Amino acid sequence: MIRATQLEKRMGGAPILRGVSFAVGARTVLGVIGASGSGKTTLLRCLNGLERIDGGAIECGDVRLDAALDEATYRRRVRLLRLKVGTVFQHLHLFPHLSALGNIVEAPVHVLGEPRRAAEERGRELLAAVGLGPAAARYPESLSGGEQQRVAIARALAMRPEVLLFDEPTSALDPRRVADMRALLRRFAADGHTLVVVSHSLGFLAGLADALLYMEAGEVVEQGPAAEIMNAPRDPRTREFLAAVSKD
Amino acid sequence: MSKATRAAGPLVGVLLLCAAASAGARAQTVLRWGADPSGGAPYVFTDPADPARYIGYEHEMVEALARAMGRRAEFVPADWETIVSSLQRGEFDVIVNGLEPTADRARQILFSRPYYVFQLQLTVRRDDPRINALADCRGRVVGTLGNTAASRLLAQTGLDYRGYADPVGAYRDLELKRLDAVLMDVPMEMYYARTNPRLRAAGPPTNPGTYVVGLRRGDEALKAQVDAGLEQIIRDGTLERILRKWNLWDERQAELRAQLDAPPQTNAGAQPAGFDLTNATFNWPEALLRLARAATVTVLLAFGAMVLALALGLPLAVGQSRGPRWVQVLSTCYVEFFRGTPVLVQLLFLYFGLPRLGLAMPGWLTALIGLGLNYAAYESQVYRAALEAIPRGQWEAAYSLGMRPVLAFRRIILPQALRIALPPMTNDFVSLFKDTSVAFAISVWELATAYRELANASGEFLLLGLIVSLFYLAMSLPMAHLARRLERRMQRRQQVLHTKPVEAAT
Repeated sequence: MIRATQLEKRMGGAPILRGVSFAVGARTVLGVIGASGSGKTTLLRCLNGLERIDGGAIECGDVRLDAALDEATYRRRVRLLRLKVGTVFQHLHLFPHLSALGNIVEAPVHVLGEPRRAAEERGRELLAAVGLGPAAARYPESLSGGEQQRVAIARALAMRPEVLLFDEPTSALDPRRVADMRALLRRFAADGHTLVVVSHSLGFLAGLADALLYMEAGEVVEQGPAAEIMNAPRDPRTREFLAAVSKD
Repeated sequence: MSKATRAAGPLVGVLLLCAAASAGARAQTVLRWGADPSGGAPYVFTDPADPARYIGYEHEMVEALARAMGRRAEFVPADWETIVSSLQRGEFDVIVNGLEPTADRARQILFSRPYYVFQLQLTVRRDDPRINALADCRGRVVGTLGNTAASRLLAQTGLDYRGYADPVGAYRDLELKRLDAVLMDVPMEMYYARTNPRLRAAGPPTNPGTYVVGLRRGDEALKAQVDAGLEQIIRDGTLERILRKWNLWDERQAELRAQLDAPPQTNAGAQPAGFDLTNATFNWPEALLRLARAATVTVLLAFGAMVLALALGLPLAVGQSRGPRWVQVLSTCYVEFFRGTPVLVQLLFLYFGLPRLGLAMPGWLTALIGLGLNYAAYESQVYRAALEAIPRGQWEAAYSLGMRPVLAFRRIILPQALRIALPPMTNDFVSLFKDTSVAFAISVWELATAYRELANASGEFLLLGLIVSLFYLAMSLPMAHLARRLERRMQRRQQVLHTKPVEAAT
């Protein structure tokens, strides 16, 4: 599970996040929607500690990251948080000098200290789980965008995170593969993970998210069960956004 | 009229006058003589009391010689190592510089009759009892003046020797223990070593030889005049007076005078049994061996300096772009200092300046460290550019997998940066390989030094130049080829990454 309480983030004096709060439990998928510049990506970057929060707190299991912590403690907590939160970036950021398997075992071996042999065995299982079994020895540059994305997912899973963050997971995908990806993410949730998925594709989130959170200008406008938000949004701003997006 | 042009007016007039005068009867009335005045005591050197003037026993001798020939002497400062080629190019008419009539020089120039009999003196440190004759020098390093009878003697006896451009440097390096002994003509030893309390003569002077005046081939008429002039100043005691004044007179000089009336056997009387310096010919197998040794030194120097540059460049690059403020300032100062000053000056500073602070390193080590420090500044910039070329996303991906900065740098960023840095580094290595030639300034026996010394000794500038160039090319061409291949591979890689169609789902 992951919980955000009154998150504040400013950049160059301008507020990017303004009192964002939500909570997602295990086996649950939260979809985050909103226009470009609404603060979705910044929210994800705060949740994995790449941005320091200016107010509020993030809790994940027994790790509590509070904006009021002193610098050293904050940094220590960020590292603990990152061991519980895995991220699949929009641009993936695979390590080009390592093979698919090398990408996956790098952190388990060097951060967790797992024996390489065991890590590689598990890495192969993960690759098989995302449907890339034969690609273990291939390098990122020789993989398609969709294949690269599945390596990135396997890389995040290899650290056994409780929470998985996805930033625009459909942007690397051929439209035909979107349904496969949705099924894969549902399976992770069923396995007990907590998922936070930022996407501008309502169609993708429709069959995936249990809950939806609509953001505008760094504020949470509305959140609730996915079906409720999609079919009967209460706030006029949400209605306007959904109407605009569904025209695409 | 400005101050500067007012001052320049008369100067221009004087120059014009000089030019007019030299165009006219100069060839008849002037005897232009070339010699190396740097560290040139007691032959010809700058008067310490009046630095605008040259003095020395040969300076006085040429004045007397020119008077005897009915000419006016005009001194042309030259460089000892290249003095024969300067004569051949016509920069002056005669060489008067303690020139020994060696066989290899005899093929290039004419010699006058001898005017002085010299001997060689071995000098060691006063507190070093090991060496008392040349025979004790096996396995040790002996310094001498490059391209002299002494250097030929050392080469022929197979001793490890180092040729210097002036006697001051050789005796200083003896004191600094960079050398074990110095072998030098007695006149130089007298002026530069005998008064030094930290040095002592090892055994009596040995291996006598003669000094002669050198002339261009074909200048037979001038040679006759010079010979006649020399005979006159030897007979009338002018030369003896000059030599006595400079404390250089001994019974051997009297023998020289006696020979004037003996049948013309040139130097036979002055040569005792043993090594005959005047017959020292250029030894090709030995020269090639020394070239090969110089090539090895060059290669080792280049590799050593590059390893140092690569090891030092990385912390500099990281310090400059990611360190705390004071580290950034220090690294930037280092880089700007070493890039902004000539590597030659840096080497001279390390070699001559550091011993003043109590740190005397041997020449090869100085060259290795100097070139390494210099190239570290350049390599740091190659590293920096390569590190900055790695996208931020790579750091963020590493961080979000729980890596600390040092681990992320070592496992993720550095391996990628090294691939980018490899082609420019290979190119820099080729430059460094050629830059090792500056080490000749501090008497390191590398290819450039070897070329200069061997070519000066033999006059074979063309042939030796070709051989030395081949040595350099044999090293630098494969490296340059490797650099180009690495570059092409990098470009292909980047094309693959950049032209991959980004599939968007909207």
